[in-house]
Amino acid sequence: MGEVFVVTSGKGGVGKTTTTANLGTGLASLGHKVVLVDTDIGLRNLDVVLGLENRIVYDITDVTGGHCRLRQALIRDKRLDGLHLLPAAQTKDKTAVSPEEMKTLCEELESEFDYVIIDCPAGIEQGFRNAIAGAHRAIVVTTPEVSAVRDADRIIGLLEAAELHAPRLIINRIRPRMVRHGDMMSIEDIIDILAVDLLGVVPEDEQVVISTNRGEAVVMDQRSRSGQAYRNIIQRLLGQTLPIMDLEDGSGFFGRLRRMMGLK
Amino acid sequence: MALPGRAARQRRRVCLPGDLDLVADENTVLIQRTLRSGQTVHYRGHVVVLGDVNPGAEIAASGNVVVVGALRGMVHAGMEGDANSFVLALALQPTQLRIADHITRPPDGEVAPEGPEIARIKDGVVTIEAFWPGGAGK
Ligand SMILES: Nc1ncnc2c1ncn2[C@@H]1O[C@H](COP(=O)(O)OP(=O)(O)OP(=O)(O)O)[C@@H](O)[C@H]1O
Ligand SMILES: [Mg+2]
Repeated sequence: MGEVFVVTSGKGGVGKTTTTANLGTGLASLGHKVVLVDTDIGLRNLDVVLGLENRIVYDITDVTGGHCRLRQALIRDKRLDGLHLLPAAQTKDKTAVSPEEMKTLCEELESEFDYVIIDCPAGIEQGFRNAIAGAHRAIVVTTPEVSAVRDADRIIGLLEAAELHAPRLIINRIRPRMVRHGDMMSIEDIIDILAVDLLGVVPEDEQVVISTNRGEAVVMDQRSRSGQAYRNIIQRLLGQTLPIMDLEDGSGFFGRLRRMMGLK
Repeated sequence: MALPGRAARQRRRVCLPGDLDLVADENTVLIQRTLRSGQTVHYRGHVVVLGDVNPGAEIAASGNVVVVGALRGMVHAGMEGDANSFVLALALQPTQLRIADHITRPPDGEVAPEGPEIARIKDGVVTIEAFWPGGAGK
């Protein structure tokens, strides 16, 4: 029996799809059998992020509507054998699927895969309710902005009300320099309000955008800091205890010193 | 409705009992969790929260509101007009603080001091004072 995770945030654009793609890719690269489910019906983009757009024949609404078998709609990743995608529909809306149908779908998927990771749309309406319906655990993504944290808090309340307890948090796009200068919320500020387990912190990194635009996941880039952050998150998901990585980006005084001395 | 004025924060310390009525009576609801953004509690009586009240959460009570945690959301004590109602919190940093028909926001640019504080109406002004637990002092 596999585990079903939903990746959610409330606020849009904070990195749910990026997180889903990286966790899935990373877990599959370690030999796990993974399926990613895009529930952002009408605004799908997990397929694009994974570079699988041109292979879509059937989508999630074809499966729940009985127009095809689940197997037919699953797309195998180009590189990783263990990684699969169930794409969203682009031409319908969130009401094309119901929470009950999602539950049935997740039960079917968890019997075949080690990890089912659901990419949730932004918002708290039906798309959100669909995405969480079949999940066992939730991963909440936020950025270090007051409004994103406020929405994450709202989402955590709704998850608790839906009996999805103890969600875990990923703080995305943190900029250590801004935090140091007091211009950005720190990890402590965020945890102080949300009071949930921290799964990891991902720095702001242009490598994320570069990889995404190539249809690759940055988690496979051994040199990037964000890739390392995602690899750490995966280790924690698998039950390891790792310290939160040092986010110093090398632009501070010691970074400059190290560069001047040719150490970096 | 007028723009919310600022609450006055005083250095003086107060304690219970003595110059306050009972904090709670049989008509009190106990909430043993953190209230998160979007969650509300409206209650005829006193409200005691064992947890935080986060920004975007809201409590309204006809009596007192006591938060054993950080109060960062919206709070209204004495919502039916009882001007003797008070708000007490371990960290009193509400988005907006209402007591009876007084609407205030916390003093601008002022960092809330460490430790519990109590807000109530004194001489027609919402006043915030450091709160001494226990009966000593006064
Ligand atoms: N750590 C990061 N550093 C730099 N850019 C990032 C990072 N994480 C995400 N991004 C960029 O932010 C944008 C939004 O990310 P993403 O699409 O994953 O968000 P989302 O939460 O899925 O959005 P939506 O709510 O629209 O579904 C993308 O362009 C992505 O490349
Ligand atoms: Mg997305």
